Amino acid sequence: MSAGARARIDTVVEFLGPALLIVLVAVIGSFTSAAREIEFRNALVNAAIVIALYVFIGNSGVISFGHISFVAVGAFLAGVITIEGQSKQFVLPNLAPFLKHTTIGSWASLGLAAAVGAAYALIVGIPLMRLSGLPAGIATFAVLGITYNVLRYWDAIGPGPLTLSLVPETTTIWVACGGTLIAAAVAFGYQKSRAGRMLRATREDPGAARAAGIDVYRQRLLAFTLSGALAGFAGGLLVHLFGSITTDQVYLNLTFITLAMLVIGGVASLLGATLGALLVSGLNSFLSDAENGVDIGFHLKLRGGTSFVVLGIFMALVLILRPSGITGGRELRLPRRRRPVTKR
Amino acid sequence: MTDVQAIIDAIALGAVYALVAVGIGLVFGVMRLINFAYGELITAGGFTLWWLRDQPAAVAILACFAVVIALSLAMERVAFRPLRRASPATMLVATFAISFTLQSIYLLIFGPRGNPVSTLSGLQGAVNIGSLHIRWITFVSLGCGAALLLGTAFILDRTNIGLHMRAAATDFRTSRILGVRANRVIAFAFLISGFLAASVSVLLTVEDQLVTPDYGVSITILALIGVVVGGLDRLWSATLGGFAMGFATSLFGDLLPAGSRVYLPSIVFGAVILVLILRPPGLFAPSRRPVERM
Amino acid sequence: MPEAAAPALEFDAVEVRYGAVPAVRGLSLRIDRGEFVGLIGPNGAGKSTTLLAAMGVVGVSAGEIRLLGRPVRGRAPEDVARAGMALVPEGRHIFANLTVEENLRLGLAARRGRNEVAQDLARIYDLFPAVRESLRRNAGALSGGQQQQLAIARALLARPTVLLLDEPSLGLAPTVVQAVFGVLHEIREQGVTILLVEQRAEVTIRAADRTHVLANGELRLSLTPADAGDTERLAAAYLS
Repeated sequence: MSAGARARIDTVVEFLGPALLIVLVAVIGSFTSAAREIEFRNALVNAAIVIALYVFIGNSGVISFGHISFVAVGAFLAGVITIEGQSKQFVLPNLAPFLKHTTIGSWASLGLAAAVGAAYALIVGIPLMRLSGLPAGIATFAVLGITYNVLRYWDAIGPGPLTLSLVPETTTIWVACGGTLIAAAVAFGYQKSRAGRMLRATREDPGAARAAGIDVYRQRLLAFTLSGALAGFAGGLLVHLFGSITTDQVYLNLTFITLAMLVIGGVASLLGATLGALLVSGLNSFLSDAENGVDIGFHLKLRGGTSFVVLGIFMALVLILRPSGITGGRELRLPRRRRPVTKR
Repeated sequence: MTDVQAIIDAIALGAVYALVAVGIGLVFGVMRLINFAYGELITAGGFTLWWLRDQPAAVAILACFAVVIALSLAMERVAFRPLRRASPATMLVATFAISFTLQSIYLLIFGPRGNPVSTLSGLQGAVNIGSLHIRWITFVSLGCGAALLLGTAFILDRTNIGLHMRAAATDFRTSRILGVRANRVIAFAFLISGFLAASVSVLLTVEDQLVTPDYGVSITILALIGVVVGGLDRLWSATLGGFAMGFATSLFGDLLPAGSRVYLPSIVFGAVILVLILRPPGLFAPSRRPVERM
Repeated sequence: MPEAAAPALEFDAVEVRYGAVPAVRGLSLRIDRGEFVGLIGPNGAGKSTTLLAAMGVVGVSAGEIRLLGRPVRGRAPEDVARAGMALVPEGRHIFANLTVEENLRLGLAARRGRNEVAQDLARIYDLFPAVRESLRRNAGALSGGQQQQLAIARALLARPTVLLLDEPSLGLAPTVVQAVFGVLHEIREQGVTILLVEQRAEVTIRAADRTHVLANGELRLSLTPADAGDTERLAAAYLS
């Protein structure tokens, strides 16, 4: 087999890792009861969010605490713009005229959410991508704080502190599957592209990368904007999953959980992002069930609220015992046969 | 409320924030670790005070200090020691995880509704000085804040362990080569930082009596932002940043017109971003210094 | 092995790796009490790594290092320091924002027993008058040569059995280098065992009882002061 064919097969296998996981979860979910199925759909949308996070954090090595801002903006926009006209006038009287009088379909709202997520990320990224390390973390956290604050009180663009509801619930299991696959494909395409590889080089050794002529700022801004688009898109999926959204749903808790999913799975690989999200979502579901009583050989009933504790401890344990995450930052690879090394 | 009164209140709140900043800054200095779970120490103190609400104030306060310091040392030993070699990203998320876990434990034990603390509620009373109407707690906050800050400075400057801590914060590796015991220095940092957290919980619960599972979160986040904005590399610039944050939050809260007051967080966060972009080492930091790692 | 007969410092087939790259290979070196041994070699030969490994700062992947007969492999640097080994690191690493006096006090951290500190200080002030004169100043304000003296003084305050020095002449003028080497002789007279890592081959070969060449992680030649003028032999050792 030629080296070129081998490389192409390797690439396909790499993408198959996350892709198969996503499809598997969707297939299993489609065979469960309606109540259960929501959890599977939620897991898939979580994966989409974490993949968006990974596109920036995994490739650049810079931590962003603010990405849920883009999810929030995408969710609220996609939600507001798809609510049926009459109800919208009634429920959201102070809405800006453009938003009040426009209603589009769910598919279009996803595209709009992605576009707005990208635009917001670009605006935020232009000043912020000069920062790294802790200042970057704090600055992106500040963006999250601003987004939360504005969404909560500015009723010209949303419901303010109230719940936004009456959003069409169009994220079926296959929409969730497809949407997450699209996110994974975009992420994969980016990390294989020249830009993606250049950014990864800056992660290992920024000094050397600069010396090699890579424009660190530009590459980071590109990744940030792309991940903003994916995050906005995932936000659209999210709001169409539940048919409602509140500011608290897209703030600190979601920030922490998605970040932890990424780190647990393995911050530096797409497989890690996908696996971490699906695994932790699954664990969360199981623990919630256990709070109602579940049979696993013996009857297990946890006190209400225990699930969060167990989840937190699990996350801390993984981080302490295996800091590079479950995948160790690696993608799926076919095992290689060892060829003997010829001595010269 | 007069402007002078607003300023005095702002200084008092700034003092409390400064204590949080020192707590965070001390641990960062020796471990290069930002402890997001610091707020949980403050919450633990608050819950301890509520748990012992029927006991005399002295007993409750003593227990508060004991519990918080024990929790701080336990945090270091169980969670942070294994993380000493991890990357900054992992450490950050891990402290986040511990914060989340502790909050969930509090939720499990104490429930979501707030528990009222009345330990030093006498301090809510006020005294009139001229045209000013100042609450006792304001005096106590100022006094305790100043005393604790001076005490910490004394320990750092005049004692052996303080010298070791300052050396470790500057260059951990060389300090160890000279014989400075890493574990001891770090544990001591957590001890002082726990002491300060307990003090903050006692002072805070006088005015903010309802202790919820996320009681300590907002002050910690704001103080942390203040620390980074003030300048993380030196303890005094970090403290000044924390103080400035408390001062600004209180003052703007009092001086902003009612309608735009809800956007106060955005204004504060916006200012933070501005400072970080224009002067990343921090507002009060001296010239750029390289930060030594362990 | 009874402690009295044990060598002060012994490297036994030591190997140190940075990731997959071996920086030091199969290093065996025995230094008896009171000896002054030099270690020279080209850049990247592994000289600094050898000292850092002895101090416990970098991990040893194979072999053993023994201080007074007792193994130090795997022990924390502060424990090795307290067992009687002191390192003056490359680049001096004094605490620029602390005073000279505070820097010295830090040297006491590894010392066993607080008795006779005053005597040791007196002796140190004799060796390093510049240090005594600038006690209250910030260490960052001292010149390179003065900082080097401070670094050595600081290490001596721990009353080490073995003193390791990593390129003390780095960045110093020749006259200052002479002064530093003079001090090293006095220190050796006081019974301290010295392992000196240096770039400047000539002056090291002259000063030390014996000098080894470390190239590519392996110990090559062994030279005495008599070989001081023999540049051919030296070049051969460096280039082999």
